[in-house]
Formats: sequence, structure tokens, C-alpha cells
Amino acid sequence: MRIRGKVWKYGDDVNTDVIFAGKYTYTIKDRAEMARYALEDLDPEFARSASPGDIIVAGRNWGCGSSREQAAICLKERGIGAIIARSFARIHYRNCLNEGLPIIISSEIQDLVKSGDEVEVDFEGGEITAAGVTIKFPPYPEFVQGLVNDGGLVPHVKKTLGLT
Amino acid sequence: MGKTVIMKIMERASGREVKVGERVWCGIDWSTARDFGGASCALQFDEITEGRGHVWNPDRIAFTFDLQAPSHSEKVSNNQKTIREFARRQGITRLFDVNHGIGQHVLLERGLVKPGDVILGTDSHMNLLGCVAAFATGVGSTDIAASWLSGTNWFRVPETMRVEVTGEFQRGVSMRDFLTMLVGGLGAGGMDFLSVEFTGDTIERSLLSERVTLCSMVTEMSGKIGLILPNGPVLDWLAERAGPEVRERAAAIAPDLDAPYTEVRRYDVSELEPMASCPDAPDNVRPVREVAGVPVDQVHIGSCTNGRFEDIAAAFEVLKLSGFKVSPGVRTIITPATREVMIQAARAGMIERFLEAGVVFTNPTCSLCTAEHYGALPSGDVGCSTTNRNFIGKVGKGSHTYLMSPMSAMAAAVRGVITDPRDIVCQGRD
Repeated sequence: MRIRGKVWKYGDDVNTDVIFAGKYTYTIKDRAEMARYALEDLDPEFARSASPGDIIVAGRNWGCGSSREQAAICLKERGIGAIIARSFARIHYRNCLNEGLPIIISSEIQDLVKSGDEVEVDFEGGEITAAGVTIKFPPYPEFVQGLVNDGGLVPHVKKTLGLT
Repeated sequence: MGKTVIMKIMERASGREVKVGERVWCGIDWSTARDFGGASCALQFDEITEGRGHVWNPDRIAFTFDLQAPSHSEKVSNNQKTIREFARRQGITRLFDVNHGIGQHVLLERGLVKPGDVILGTDSHMNLLGCVAAFATGVGSTDIAASWLSGTNWFRVPETMRVEVTGEFQRGVSMRDFLTMLVGGLGAGGMDFLSVEFTGDTIERSLLSERVTLCSMVTEMSGKIGLILPNGPVLDWLAERAGPEVRERAAAIAPDLDAPYTEVRRYDVSELEPMASCPDAPDNVRPVREVAGVPVDQVHIGSCTNGRFEDIAAAFEVLKLSGFKVSPGVRTIITPATREVMIQAARAGMIERFLEAGVVFTNPTCSLCTAEHYGALPSGDVGCSTTNRNFIGKVGKGSHTYLMSPMSAMAAAVRGVITDPRDIVCQGRD
């Protein structure tokens, strides 16, 4: 799979409260509606202008803080094609996997791109192309790739239990 | 090579030898959800089992209504109702409704948590249960729903950092100040993916409430779990509630002498001073005296991090030394972690004095850890709080919060400005 999209660039330690504010977690149950509030407290422009396939490029510890899965859902529903970060907070990492939102660990792209630049990601080849430069990124760990191949955690568990 | 505490916990839970860095399936001792997130878990479970599924073990699932307790709106009430109905249908009897308090604390007080347990919950501060050497972690609703199907989930066996703490706190200084200092020094990612073992004489002497504070703030350094092997009065307390087997359980997961640590950090707290996390991040840390004088609109003492009886008693001491009066310009709110804590405060005669002093003393709940509950801050207001996060907008758009110890927070409440609590508690002393 290849995706091509515009970069939304953010810094280190972006927390899940600013990705999806706590005050909406109770009242908004509709997944598509969650997308309207994505990153509201960090970058109000994001929810208005992001296009399907756009790519978030962030620093260290993306998605730290609260365990809310809505932080992954709202980005997925907003059409984000991938999140590339130097590192991910572990609960959010699991939530992105569980929502089928591709996550890429890379520390090279941050210095190459700014918000609005076009980036292409080749998932099979493990390559990101930005500003004419191609960067390799590591595949998911084998264990995680196994879950992804089964369609995620729930289908994997159902398969293991013989429920499918 | 020996094994760390987390390795031994995961070996018990997975039934096999584990190596650091590998991912293993672990049996779950408790899979819990609170009102915040719990309805999503229930709906998701029904969706993936087409409404016909049974949870793997209703006696290993608990619900705790703590974040919005009691409910403040019809929508929240409906979510809570969804959970109650799900629990009834699935035969889950451990539903701690709006009159109980903060989930992890309730589970602890009820004797449901044992050293070495593996516990999931929809709260990123689940890991405070590391205070009795349980491996508890916050996860999203999919992870919970999947665990309800199978009673298992996967974890990466983490590397371990060892933190040795020695020395006695000076008067006016507490475990929260040590933690704040640690968060400032290591940063928001300073314990990324790590298990952290806390040891040293300061830890061995510490009260359960101090251990709770310590382990809950591991989250703010992105740690996976902070672990303290229960000993002394804490172990006695636990054995009384959770059964005598906790002694064996604790001994079985003690780290080997040659256990592998990525790093051993040593701290002496004897010269530590009161510290504050300044707006708008827990790791933006300065000594309280450097921000002293900042006018404060609201003070909040409570939360899973600092809402136990000893925390309230520390605030009470500051209030007492200030003539039992809070500044009229400061809205001061105290929220006990649980009903048990509230009863302790009532029996100690504190609640009446707090109320007379002008404090809002609330029912047990997470309260100000979420906006949209009582105490939300209006734009431009400054709060002092013993909660664990001061992310921008968290308790109200345009407001800013300083995080600090219960003593520092009460010092701000009585003076109306941020105040080093030593100015109050060390008066008349050398």
C-alpha cells in the first residue's frame, strides 16, 4: 500500500487531551463526529482542512497521557493515512494499532519536512519519500505484524478462540 | 542473568519464561473499566459478539464509576446506565457505583489487588496499583473488550529502571515534591516504556498513600509501571484486606540480585524543597518559592495521585496553622479518593473544620481530572491542584494550572497566592 498526502507537523509530547478533549468523550459516540474535534486544542486548522491521506509528522512521545481510544479514532475518521513520530506513547500505540491507523517510527523525516509538504509512504517497501529524499523505516515487530495480518486484536482473539 | 519484578510477574501471567523485549500473552487477573470509557467497552463487546457473547469470567471484571460521579448530565447518566445493564446481563457483580470513589483505590481497599496481579483498566493511571507490586495498565476500549472475550492480552516485556531513594523529607516537603522533581528532571518521556522499581530507605518507610503518589506519576514520565514490593505496615494492611497469601505473592516476585537494569538512579530527598509543575506541562518544574506570589483563583486537593487520608490530613495541618481560614478570593475544593477516606476524614473531625474554613468538601470522585465536571476553570483563571496533569485546556480552555503537593496547594488556598508551605509549617522553628 502507498499513500501520498500533506504533512501536519507537530512537536514532542503531544498528549491525548489535545488530540481529543476530555469534555467530548462522554457526549460524542459517533465516530465520524469525533473527527470534527480532532486536535482542537493544539491546531484548530487541522479538523477544518486535513484531507484524506494526510500524514502527521511528530516528535517524541506522540499520544502521551490519557488512555482514551477516541484520540486514535478521531484521527482515523479524519482520514489520516499514517502518523510518523520519533516515538509513540505506549497506550496510544496500542489504540492506533487496534483502530488500524498506521504508525511509523522514524527520526529522520522531522528535519526534512514542514507542514504542508507532500510526503509519500510505501508501507510494503518500508520507505518514506519527502523532498526528493527516501528514508527507510523499520517494519512492525513480527508479533505486531501478526496481529495486523489477522485484521487487528479482536479478530486475532476470535480466531484463537475459534469464534470465527 | 536474574529477573526483575516485572519479568517475574509476566512469567507467572504467561506461564512461561520471558525475555526482555519480547511480546507475550498474559492471563488477566482483573479487566476493569470506569464510567469514562466503560460504556464504549460494553458497546464494543456487544458489537463484536453480536450481542450474544459472554465475558470470559464475570468474577474478574469490575466497573468503577469515578470520573463523573454522580453524573452531571443525561448523556453521562445514560452511559452509566449502559454499563449497569451490561453488568447485570453478564453477571458482573463488582460494579462500584457513584458512591464509592476512584476505581484503583476502591479495588485496593476492597482487597481485590494482590502483588503480581495483571490488571487492565480504562484509566491511564491504573499503574498506581504498582504501589503493591501489581502490574496494572491503562488501555483503550478495544484492548478491554478483547480481554473480556479471552481473559488475556499481550504485553511487551519492558526493560527496568531502578530508582533508589534515601533520606527523610524536611517539614513541608513530601513524596509529591520528590515526584515533581523527578518528572522535571526526566521529562514527559523519561521513563518511556519502562518498568521502574522504587527502592531505598525512604521507600521502605513510606506509607501506602505515598506509594500511590509515586506510582501514579510514573504515567507522566511515560513509564509502563512503577513497582514497590509491599513491606512492613503496608504489607500488613494488604494482608488484612486481600488475604495472607499476599506475603508469599510478594516474596515470589522480589527481584534477583543480578536482575538486569537499564539504569540505576539514586536520589537523596533530605535537601529537597517544595516543587511545582508549572503551566502547561507536568515536566515544566520549578521550586514553589520561585513561583511564589502568583495569584490563585482556585485550589483543588484530591485525585488518584493525592486524594488519600494522609494527603487531606497534610492539607488540614496547613489550614490549622493558618487559623482555619482559606482566602475568600480562592475557591478551595477538597475531594477524597474514596468513601472510606471520606469517613476517615469525618471521624477525625476534619470535614467540619474544612467546611467552617470555607472549603468545598465534595463526595469521592476524580472531579477536576476532567473538564465538564464541577470545578472547571474559566478562561484566564489560575488553579493550583494536586492532580497529575496540567495539559493546556484540560480543566477549561484558557486556564492554567500549577500542580503541587497537598501542603503547597493548601498554602496557596490560605494566602491567596502561591506560597512555599514551609513559610507556614516551619514558623517558629529553627
